[in-house]
Amino acid sequence: MNISLSWLRSMVSDMNIGIEEISGKLASRGLPVESIRHLGVGLEDIVVARVESVNQHPNADRLSICEVNNGKDILQVVCGAEVIHVGGYYPFAGVGVTLPDGLKLKRVKIRGEYSNGMLCSEKELGLGPDQQGIMHLKGKVHLGQILTEALAIDDVCLDVEVTPNRGDLLSHLGVARELAPGGDREIVLPEIPGAPVFDFEVKTEQSEVSHAEVSIRIDEPELCQRFLGVIVRGLKVGPSPEWLVSRLHSVGQKSINNVVDATNYVMLEMGNPMHAYDLKKLEGSQLIVRRAKDGETIQALDGLDYELNNMGGTMLLISDVSASQNIAGIVGGMQSAVTEDTKDILLECALFEPKSIRRNRGKLGISTDASYRFERGVDPEGHLPALRRALEVILATAGGKIDGPVMEVLPNSWSPPVLTLRLSRIEQILGVPFEIKDIERLLQPLGFDVKADGNGELSVIVPGYRSYDVTREIDLIEEIARTHGYDNFPDKMGKFRPTSVPDNPIFQLEDKLRNVLSSAGLLEARNSAFAPESEGVVELSNPISKEESCLRSAMLPDLVRCAEYNFARGIRDIRLFEIGTVFDWLSMWEFSPLEGLNVALVVTGLQRPPHWSEEINEIDLWTLKGLLEETVTSSGWATFSVNPKSEVIRSRAEVTEDNVVEEWRRTSKSYDPQLYHLGVHTLEDDGDGHYIRWQFVVDQLFVPSTALVISNEDGGTIGLAGQIDPNRIDAPAWAGPVWAMELCLPTEIEIDTPSTLRPISQFPGMERDLALLVPPNTSSKSIFECIRELGGEILEKIVIFDVYRGEGIGDHERSFAFRLHFQAYDRTLTDGEVDGSIGEITRGLLENLGVEQRI
Amino acid sequence: MNDSNSILKALKALEAEALDAIKTVSETDDLERLRITYMGRKEGSLSVLLRELSTLDSSERPAIGAEVNRVKDIIQNALKEKKSELTPADLIADSIEDLTLPGRFRWMGGIHPVNQVIDEIWQIFRGLGFTRVRGPEVDDEWYNFEALNTPLDHPAADEQDTIYLNIPSPEYLTSPLLRSHTSPVQIRVMESYEPPIRILAPGMVYRRDTSDATHTPAFAQIEGLVIDEGITFLDFKATLAEFARRFWGPDTKIRFRPSFFPFTEPSAEVDVKRQLTMRDGTKVESDWIEIMGAGMVDPNVLENVGYDAERYTGFAFGMGPSRIALLKYGVSDLRLFFENDTRFLAQFSRGPLG
Repeated sequence: MNISLSWLRSMVSDMNIGIEEISGKLASRGLPVESIRHLGVGLEDIVVARVESVNQHPNADRLSICEVNNGKDILQVVCGAEVIHVGGYYPFAGVGVTLPDGLKLKRVKIRGEYSNGMLCSEKELGLGPDQQGIMHLKGKVHLGQILTEALAIDDVCLDVEVTPNRGDLLSHLGVARELAPGGDREIVLPEIPGAPVFDFEVKTEQSEVSHAEVSIRIDEPELCQRFLGVIVRGLKVGPSPEWLVSRLHSVGQKSINNVVDATNYVMLEMGNPMHAYDLKKLEGSQLIVRRAKDGETIQALDGLDYELNNMGGTMLLISDVSASQNIAGIVGGMQSAVTEDTKDILLECALFEPKSIRRNRGKLGISTDASYRFERGVDPEGHLPALRRALEVILATAGGKIDGPVMEVLPNSWSPPVLTLRLSRIEQILGVPFEIKDIERLLQPLGFDVKADGNGELSVIVPGYRSYDVTREIDLIEEIARTHGYDNFPDKMGKFRPTSVPDNPIFQLEDKLRNVLSSAGLLEARNSAFAPESEGVVELSNPISKEESCLRSAMLPDLVRCAEYNFARGIRDIRLFEIGTVFDWLSMWEFSPLEGLNVALVVTGLQRPPHWSEEINEIDLWTLKGLLEETVTSSGWATFSVNPKSEVIRSRAEVTEDNVVEEWRRTSKSYDPQLYHLGVHTLEDDGDGHYIRWQFVVDQLFVPSTALVISNEDGGTIGLAGQIDPNRIDAPAWAGPVWAMELCLPTEIEIDTPSTLRPISQFPGMERDLALLVPPNTSSKSIFECIRELGGEILEKIVIFDVYRGEGIGDHERSFAFRLHFQAYDRTLTDGEVDGSIGEITRGLLENLGVEQRI
Repeated sequence: MNDSNSILKALKALEAEALDAIKTVSETDDLERLRITYMGRKEGSLSVLLRELSTLDSSERPAIGAEVNRVKDIIQNALKEKKSELTPADLIADSIEDLTLPGRFRWMGGIHPVNQVIDEIWQIFRGLGFTRVRGPEVDDEWYNFEALNTPLDHPAADEQDTIYLNIPSPEYLTSPLLRSHTSPVQIRVMESYEPPIRILAPGMVYRRDTSDATHTPAFAQIEGLVIDEGITFLDFKATLAEFARRFWGPDTKIRFRPSFFPFTEPSAEVDVKRQLTMRDGTKVESDWIEIMGAGMVDPNVLENVGYDAERYTGFAFGMGPSRIALLKYGVSDLRLFFENDTRFLAQFSRGPLG
C-alpha cells in the first residue's frame, strides 16, 4: 500500500515528526515500511519544454523528430512516442542530465538523426506507472520551469506492508488512525480546493429504491449488504486539476479523468471503492444487483471480455435491465463507463460480502484495487462519508448538480459487535495486569468504545472498520499489546515443566549419519525434492516447471547430477552425500502418499589427497563397500546383508508382470510402507485392475557386474550400490569411475542401548595364517562362513589379508590368505588345541567347498 | 646360613661382572640376554641374591637391602645407556631432512551449512528444554490451513502459494498438498500429546515461488511450540530473546513488531540488530534483520486439537535456517546452497554435530 506522506500529514494536524520516526512508529504498530521513495529526488534537472514541431523520422517509421523549446534553445530531439502534440508541454531531460534510473543522457545519433536529450514518460521519471507515452503536462506550467516545481512534487511515498487481516489500513485514513496521537477523533480530511457547500438527504429502502427515472434493487442481500447511489447531472468530464493528478501520481496511480479520479481518490483516502456509471448508457435507468446467468459476458474496463457462466452460484453482477454493467466489487463494464461525453452519472458506493468477492475474482483470475479491499473487508459504516467526499471532489472538478437524495438499499441494518473483555484473561495471556483506565487509553484512540461492566469485565464496542479482524476477546487483547508496544513488556521467563514429548530418534540417526559420513571425508549436499517425471511417481497438480513436475522417488539421480555439475567445473575428486525425503504412492491399497527417509552418496577420484611420499589409489569398489557397511551399520538396521545383485536375483522368484504384486508383497513384509523407497514403480492398468511393474530408477544406474544389494533380515531390498554406468553419467574423459549407493533408513528406530560388554581376555591368544587355493565361483563369503562355523568357539577373528592370482597357481584359481586369531577366555591356548581347529577347518573347506590349502 | 659379609662380597662381584659384560656387548639381542641374566625376575642373579636376604638377621637386612638396590640401579642404568648406544640407525627415520614438507592429509568432509545452522539452533533450544518432532511433508488442507485457523477462503491463505499433488485415484478423499510451512506439526503434536509441550520441528516446506537470490521453492523451516498452564507473552518474549542472544551474540538487540499470522494472536515478527566487530576492532551495528515470525497460540488452534483454551496458553514461532545461514555466512545468493559445488561446500567443513 502506497502512502503519500504529505497526504497523511494533511490529515493529522500535529504530526510534526520526521520520516524515520513515522516509519518506526508504523513498524511498531505492525505496518512495516518496505521502501521510502522521495518523489522529486533526481529530477532537479528536468525542465518543462514545449514541442514546436513534429516530423516523421526519415529512416524509422516509429520515430519522430521534434523541435523542442526548453526556454533557452530550440533543440532537435528524436522521440518514439506515438502521440506528441505540437504546442504541448512535456518534461525534458537535456544532454548531460542523469535520469532517476541512472541513465546519463548524451548527444546521440539515432538512425542518422541527432537527438539532444529526451522527452520523458512518467515511468522514466519515477512518477507513475505509465511508460507508454511521454508525460503530457496539463495545467499551469511555463517554459523552462523546473519540473518538480511545476508539478509540486516534493512528496515522499511510503510503501507500507499491510497484513491480510487489516483491510482497514488500505487507505490514508486507516494509516492516519494508527499515527494520530489522539486517534480517530482528531483526524480531519484535507480541504478540496473549490468544493461547494452542499447537502443531501438519504432515502433508504430494504430492497429497492428509486428517484426520478432511476431505480436500484438488490436481489442478493447475502452478497450485497448495502448499496448507495446518487445522481449528478450536467457535469463536464475532463482532465483533473494538477493537485488531484499529483496526489494520484504520488501513490503510483494513473490519472484518467476528473470523475474516475475522484472515485479513486476517495478509495485511496478513505478505503471505500466506488464506481461511476454514465447514466444515459444504463438501459431502463436501472441498477440490479443479481447473480450472473449462464452464458453472460461483459467487456470490462481493463479491455478484456469476461465470461461469467459456469462460475458457480455466487458470481455477482450489477446490471441494467438488459446487460451487466459491472462485476460487483471487482471491475466495471466498458459499456457504461464514464467518458469525455458523459454528462450525467450515477455514483455507486456499495458493500459486498468478502468471501464471495475473493471467490469470484479468483475464478476470473484478476485482482483489482476494489476487489483487494472488498475481500479484506470495507468499513460497513463508511459509505455515507465516502459518498459525500466523492461528491465534493466531483462537484469541485467536474461541476454539475446533485439530483435528489442519496438512494440507499439496506437489506439489514448493521450494528457494531460488542465484545466482553475480562481483565483476568488479559493478564493470563499478556503476563502483566492492565487497569481499566489503561485499556481505555489504549483502545479508544483506535475507535473502540470501552465500558466497565464491573466484576473485572469490560464491554467493548468495535468500530465498523475493525469489525472484520476484531471479533473475539483475544483480538482485543492483541490490540492492547500492540498499542501498549511489544517492546514495553519485560522479558521474563517463568519456570517451565519438562516437555511430555520425547525427542524423535530419527533426528538423532540423521545427526549420527552426518557425523559418520562427513568424518569419512564426504561433503553434505542438499537437493530439492522436485524431480522430472522419469524420476518420480507422485505428480504435482500445479508444478513450477516440467522438470519439477513430480516428487523424487530416489535421491541418487540428483547426486549424479551434482557429480556432473562438479565435473563440468573441472573437479575430479567428488565425495557427496545427502539425507532427504523420497516420495511414493506405494500403498496402492490405501491411497495415501508415502514418505521415506533415504541416505545416498556418490564418490569418485583419489582415496586421499595426493602426497609426495606415495602414490594414492583411486576410489574403488572396496572403498564403496567399506563406506556402505559403515553407513548401514550406523543407520539403525539391526541386521542386514550385502550381496551381489546377480545372486539376489537368482535366489528370488522370477518377477513377471503376472506375479509382480505377489512378489512385491512377499519381499516387502506384507507391504510394509516403510520399505522400498528406491525408485519408480510405474502403475499400469492391465484391464482389470492395477499392477506394479518392478522398476527401480536407482537400479538402472549401476553397471550390473558391480551392483550390490543391501537386504534387511526379511530379505527386503533396503539399498543398492555399485559403479554408476558410464552411459548414465555425463563425465569427462579424465574422470575416474563414479561409485554410488542409496539406502533407505528405518522409520522406527530404537535408540542405541549399549549391549553387555565382553571382558578382555587375560590370556595370550594365537595367530595362524592359512593360504587357500580357491576355485572359480567360490565366494570369499562362503569361505568365511565355513571357517567361522568350523573354527569352534576359540576362533575369535578372521581377516583376509591377501588375494593372489598368477604364477604358481591354476589359471582361474585365486589364492586367499587368511589370518585367524584364536583366543580363550579362561586359559592359555595350547598349540595342540589350535592345530586341531585348523585341521577341522582345512578338512571342512576341502569337503564342502573344494578349497585346498596352498602349501 | 649366609652372613652379611659374604652377601656384600657377592654383590660387589656381581656389580663388577655385570658392568664389564654390558660394556663389551655389541648386539641388542645379547644385551637383552644380559638383562635377563642379571635382572630377570625369577632366575636373575640379583633376584637370587635378594631372596637370600630373608636368611639374614632382621637387624642386618636394611643396610644390605639398600646396597642391593644401589647395585640394581647401577646395572639398570648401564643397560639403558648401552641400549640407546646400540639402537640401530635404521630405526630412526632418515627422511627428516626437510620438516617443512606437508603431512599426510585425509579428505575433509563437512555438514551442509544449512544443516549446521539447524543444529546450532537446536542446541540452543535443547538447552531450553525442547525436544524435536517430525511431521510429514505431504499433508492436507486441514493440517496446513484449517486447523491452524486459516480458512481457505481468507486472503491469508494466499500468502503461501501452495503446491498440490495430483491424486492417482478418485478414491482419495482429501486433497494432498506439500506443506507450505512447518506449522502443521503443531497440530499433530498436540493431537498426540498433552501439555506441557516444548518442541522444535525442523523440516522442509514447499511453496510455488520461482527461484531467485532469496527464494527457493523448497526450503527448510524450523517450527517451535510451547504449551502449558501459565505460559504468557512474557515467557514468549524472554524465550525468543534468549535464543537470539545465544545465537547472534550477547550484545544483540532484539525487537518485537506486531504482525499477523492466522494461528497466533498476538502475533509478532522478531528482528535482531547484530553487533559486529570489524577487522580494526571497531564495533558497528547491523540493520534490523527479520529472523522469525511468532506469537501466542490462537485459542481457536487450541480448541481445534481439543485443548481447553481457557486453561492452556502458549506460543509458537517459525524461522528459516537457510535465510539465517545467508546472514551468518555473508552469502549473497541462496542458490549457492543448493548447487552443491564441492568448492563451496568444503568451506563449511567443521567438526561433528554437537
